[in-house]
Formats: sequence, C-alpha cells, structure tokens
Amino acid sequence: MALTAAPSGSSLTFVRLKLRLIANGLRGRPGRVALFLTGLLLSGIFAVAGYAIFAVPGVLGDDQAAATLLPLGGAALVLGWVVLPLVFFGVDESLDPARFALFPLRRRALITGLFAAALVGLPTLATLVATAGTVSTAAQLGGTAAALTQLAGIVVGLLLCVAVSRAVTSAFATGLRSRRSRDLAVILLAVTAALLGPLQLAVLAGLERADWAAFGTVADVAGWTPLGAPYSVGLDVAAGRAWAVPLKLLIVVAALVGLLWWWSATLERAMLGAAAGGRGGAATDTRSPVGRLLAGRLPATRFGALVAREVRYWMRETRRRASLITFTVVGLFLPVSISMSGGSPGPMALFVGALAAVALANQFGYEGSAYAANMTAGVPGRTEIHSRAAAHALFTVPLLVIVAVVVALVSGRPEAIAAQFGGLVAAYGVGLGVVLPVSVVAAYALPETTSPFAVSSGGGVAKGLLTLGAMVATVVVSAPLQVVGFFLGDVWLWLGLPVGIAYGCAAYLIGSGIAGDRLDRRMPEVLAAVTPGR
Amino acid sequence: MSLRGLVKRFDTKLAVSGVSLDVPAGSFYGLLGPNGAGKTTTLSMAVGLLRPDAGQAFLLGYDVWADPAAAKARLGVLPDGVRLFDRLTGAELLAYHGLLRGMDAATVDQRARELLDVLELGVSNKTMVVDYSAGMRKKIGLACALLHAPRLLVLDEPFEAVDPVSAARIRDILQRYVAGGGTVIFSSHVMEVVERLCSHVAILSDGVLRMHGTLDAVRGDRSLEDVFVQVVGARVATGSELAWL
Repeated sequence: MALTAAPSGSSLTFVRLKLRLIANGLRGRPGRVALFLTGLLLSGIFAVAGYAIFAVPGVLGDDQAAATLLPLGGAALVLGWVVLPLVFFGVDESLDPARFALFPLRRRALITGLFAAALVGLPTLATLVATAGTVSTAAQLGGTAAALTQLAGIVVGLLLCVAVSRAVTSAFATGLRSRRSRDLAVILLAVTAALLGPLQLAVLAGLERADWAAFGTVADVAGWTPLGAPYSVGLDVAAGRAWAVPLKLLIVVAALVGLLWWWSATLERAMLGAAAGGRGGAATDTRSPVGRLLAGRLPATRFGALVAREVRYWMRETRRRASLITFTVVGLFLPVSISMSGGSPGPMALFVGALAAVALANQFGYEGSAYAANMTAGVPGRTEIHSRAAAHALFTVPLLVIVAVVVALVSGRPEAIAAQFGGLVAAYGVGLGVVLPVSVVAAYALPETTSPFAVSSGGGVAKGLLTLGAMVATVVVSAPLQVVGFFLGDVWLWLGLPVGIAYGCAAYLIGSGIAGDRLDRRMPEVLAAVTPGR
Repeated sequence: MSLRGLVKRFDTKLAVSGVSLDVPAGSFYGLLGPNGAGKTTTLSMAVGLLRPDAGQAFLLGYDVWADPAAAKARLGVLPDGVRLFDRLTGAELLAYHGLLRGMDAATVDQRARELLDVLELGVSNKTMVVDYSAGMRKKIGLACALLHAPRLLVLDEPFEAVDPVSAARIRDILQRYVAGGGTVIFSSHVMEVVERLCSHVAILSDGVLRMHGTLDAVRGDRSLEDVFVQVVGARVATGSELAWL
C-alpha cells in the first residue's frame, strides 16, 4: 500500500483508500448497490430541498427572514450532524483508526488524513449542496462580495459539521469501550435522544406564537456562535458589517481546531484499544455452571437455556442495551407528550408496540456468527424463534404495563388502563408477527466493533428502511382492532384487554410459525448473512 | 464421516471443487492445506454450517443435509473464524451448550467443572469469554465441543494460538478420546502436530484433494513437510528477491 510511500500527499492517499473501500464494497453485490442508490436518492432529495429553503429569502429579497433563517438553519444543520449519527444512522467507520496504529504516521498526518477521508461521502455532498442555497441568498442581497464570503463560510461550515460529528461519536465510542464509563455514556445518549422531543415541541410552540422578534434575537446570538457563524458571514457583508467577517471566521476556525484536537485525543485512546484489565481473577462465583446460567428461575431445558442466554445478551451487549434504553425513553416520552397536548393516546399504542418489536428485526445480526453454535446443536427453528421472543417479552411486557398505567393516568382516564394495555399487547404481538419472519429472511451483518454506532457502508439505509417497513406493516395489520375499539366505546374498556391479548397472540403465533419454518430451511443462509466480511 | 463430491462456489471463485473423503471410525484424521485451500469451507459443509452447491456429507451414516437432527446429535464441532456466545462466562457457556444438547443439569454441572478444571480456565472465573485471550477462546470452544461426549469430533485449527503446555494437554485429551473409540478430524497447517498425532492425513490445495490415506502411505520414507510442499507445488527457497532484508 502506498500509505507510507507518499508522506507528502498522505491526505490524498486516505481519500483514495476510502473511495476504493466504497467501490470494493459495492462490487458484485446488487443488494449493496441498491442500498447505495437509495442513499443517493435520499441525499439528493435532502440537498435539493435544503438548497430551496436556504435560497428562498434571497429570492424574496427579505433581509429580515435571511438574518433569521440562515444562522438558525445553519445551526440546526450542525446540531443534526451531532445528533443524527448517534441516534439513527451510526458513522461509517470503514476507515477504522485502530487499523493505522502500526503505520509510522505522525498524529497530525493521521488526523488530517482521516478527516479528509471523512469528508468523502454522500452526507457531506448533500450538506454542501443544501448550504449552497445560502450563497444564492447572499448573492441576491449583497452582490458578488457577499456571495464569495458566504461561499468561504459554507466550506468552513462543512468542515465544522464533519469535525463535530466525528469528535462527538468518537468520544462516545471511547466512553462506551471502557467498562466503567459505558453505562454513563449509554445514559447520556438516552438523555440526548430524549431531549430532541422537548426541543422540537419548544420550537413548534414558538412558531405557533410567531414571535419573530424573539427569533431574531436568538438568530443574532446564534450567528456569533460557531454553530451559526459560518452561515451568516455573507449577510454581514450585505449589511455593511464587513468587520464581523474575520471575527466570525476566527471563531469557527478556533472551534474547528479545538474539535480536531479533541478528536485526536480520543482517537489516541481508541487506538490503544479497550482497557480490558483490572478485574481478572478477583471476581469469582461458586455456584454450579447450570445454576449460574439459569439464575435458579428458568427450567433446565433447551428452551430455558436459550431464554437465559438471550436475557444475558439484552443486559450485557451494548447494542441491545442501547436499543432497550432508547425504546424505554421513546415509549414513555411519546405517549405522555401526546396525552398532555390533548391528543388521543389510542393510535400511539400502535406505534409504541411496533417500536418494541422492531428491536428484533435484525435479531440474528446482534451476535453474528455465534449462531453457528445453535445450528450444530440442532436447535429447531420454532424453538429458536420462541425463545428469542420470550426473552425480549420479559423486558418489554413490564415496560408496556408501565406505559399503559402512565398514559391512562396522564390522560385522566384510570379506568382505561386495562384496555390501553390490551391495545399495546395487540400491537406488540402484531409487531412480532411482522418482524420475526423479516429477521429470518432479511438478516444482515453488523460490524464487529464495540461502538454501538458503527454500521458498515449502506447499513444505515438498511436499518432505516427495515424499521420503517415493519412499522407501517404493524400499523396496517393492527388497525382493525383500533377501529373496532373506537366504535364500541365504553364496552371496549372491558373487552379491550382479552381481545387485545388474543389478537396479539394470534398474530404472534402466525408470524413465529412462518419464521420458524423458514428458519428450518434457511439456517446456513442466515448464518452466512450475519457473518461479517463475506 | 464420509464426503461425496462436495462443491462450493463463492461468487465466481471455486472454493471447493468436488471433495470426496472417507474418515474411518476410530481414526485420527489430519486435514492439511495451505492458507485458502478450502479446509474451513470443506469442514463447514461437512457439519452443516454451509450449504454445498453439490455433493453430500454423511456423519456416522446420517445425511447431514437430509437428516440434520440425527447427524448433529453425535457430533462435536469447533469451528474456526466463528464467534462464540462471548457475552457469557466460560461456565455459563458450557452450561448453555449442555442444555442445548438436551443433557440433564447434574451431568452438565459435573462435566463442565471437570472440563474447566482440566483446561485451566477456572471453575469459578467470572470473566466473560469476550475478554478471554485467543488461546483461552480455543480451549473453551474445545470444551463446548467435548461436553456432550460426541462420537465424532470435527475441529478446525484446534491448536492455533494455544500455548505449548495447553497444546500438550489438548493432544493428550484427544489421544485418549480416540483410544476410547472416538473419531477426530481436524485441520491444521502445523506438520509436526499432524505427524505426531494422526493415523490418517489428507492434503487439500486450491479446493481439490491432492492426496489422502494413512500417514505412512502418504509420507512414504520422506518427511511429511517435504511431501506437503511437493504436492502443493510451492517453492520454499527464495532467490534473489528480498536481498535488502
């Protein structure tokens, strides 16, 4: 590899390596190509829509709107770069920094190289195109000088977006690698995710009141922070405040340098690997092996062992734990916020139940090739599926009870607890019925890293599409129950629980039956699909 | 174990092209081959982890792909390049494997303790398998394969990354197992181990079985390494290259 041979142009080498990795990942894999094209299409839509929104104030010639929209929109974009990789998409870690640990690269060369490679990708391209709309606005309002300044602004802004996203995910991942801070990081993540909701509500409330003066002030302040500064420099030129431009650029560059320094510091720790030691032989357990596995509560059978192993995995594996925590936060926050704003909590039961089941949509991907052990032990497909669903239900059903109680109390209808719970169970059952066959037919491999955010190229799109599809299917299948409940009125308070449970169980039995039979016929294919690097 | 014309194709590359092999009961069979020869692919197809494009595999008389339950019940496997359920501790993993095989709890407990003790993995160790060293992982994998006292053991690279003391102990366990009537087939590229242990060897290269038979028949009066290098058709001596080293 030419990595060491070309020390001067090493950033370019990193970029070429990244492009080569993307190309090799697509070669001979029609599924990946399709995902890539979907990603391309979505990025294109985002880019065009973003450009249009940012260009509107310029077309209208509205100084006021531009001064509000550009700094605030830009700031939102930068924040999106922080939050979205953490919560939804993950980061494309195809250039894993740990791989470069043995190359004689100086830290600065490594960081600039990795940074240059991180700039290659659909999200950066889409962001650049979208923010180019601000250049158009600056040109309309302030002529060529303003446009050129704004152009410089968006380029620096793009660098800032990428740097902030890398620095934050890297810091989180490093935190998650070491045992001690792992739980803390997971909780921080959950809180970040939970904060998105209230933030959105606050913005919506502000928009309803249409308090433009307040927004103007916020925009002015945001324009002087690194978040909004890159996107408001062109307007400063247009408004005759050229003196502000070097100051703002200085602010952004300082932030950029700070972020890159932070990133390199966490990378250094990541390259040294996880701190594994510290608790070797000290911890001992004198119970019998079987007693330790089953914790004294599950039957000493094949099914009991399978459930016990799954329960351990939900507690011990970062990815699964993160999904349970996210579900708990969203599952509680969403219905409560809807109830408080006066909406009907009925339809959201569908959503919460479906969301719970979606955690199993790629259940075989979680432990990857370890599934081979169950295959060589000859575990029948239905036993496998039932045990996995049972272990997940052990965590989910109590949560659903809590959701039902909380929602009924918040909406001031304590008599509806039972019916509410029935609706949740029905949706969860239907969700499982939909998701379990999907997990057998459309299993895909997750990369073997400890970072819960890392996905392989295209993995983010696959995850999103699978989740969305399963949600829609669940809502459609369980809609009849909601309609019946709506027309029955008060009788439903009594019938809701038994009918909901029966509906959910029936859907689950059908879905798990299909999934089990498919699994019996497809075991080797499932194993091949979840084994990384094939 | 007997394999009949196994074929596997990955994309356009023919990984294994028509391997037929008979492993007699009670034999200690070594499967040799250079890196990428198709050893892991062949063994994966033989034990039912990878679906062959053509051919059949029989374990103790049962067709792996037609009657998997009966074939797998008497089989112990140590796959290579496959993860274990590594978020369990060693003891939990053994208990899990035992119960999956339908053994009763008391037997599982007793055998698991013995295996953990003999392989020096620590009976009451609470370390998760994910934090084990590579050698310890091989050993716990081997313990899982042995736990249900199978009639046939299929081991992929059992001595890789294992320290010499543990390797000697594993050799001892396997030799006693064969002496007690069990059958072992394992893959390796360490000639010394194969020469010391095996009653039979097969040499695989580029997905084709080049030679097979009893150890003495294969090596004749030469060393196994010479035969291997000649059969595989590689060169060992370097010429003028690497002069800078």
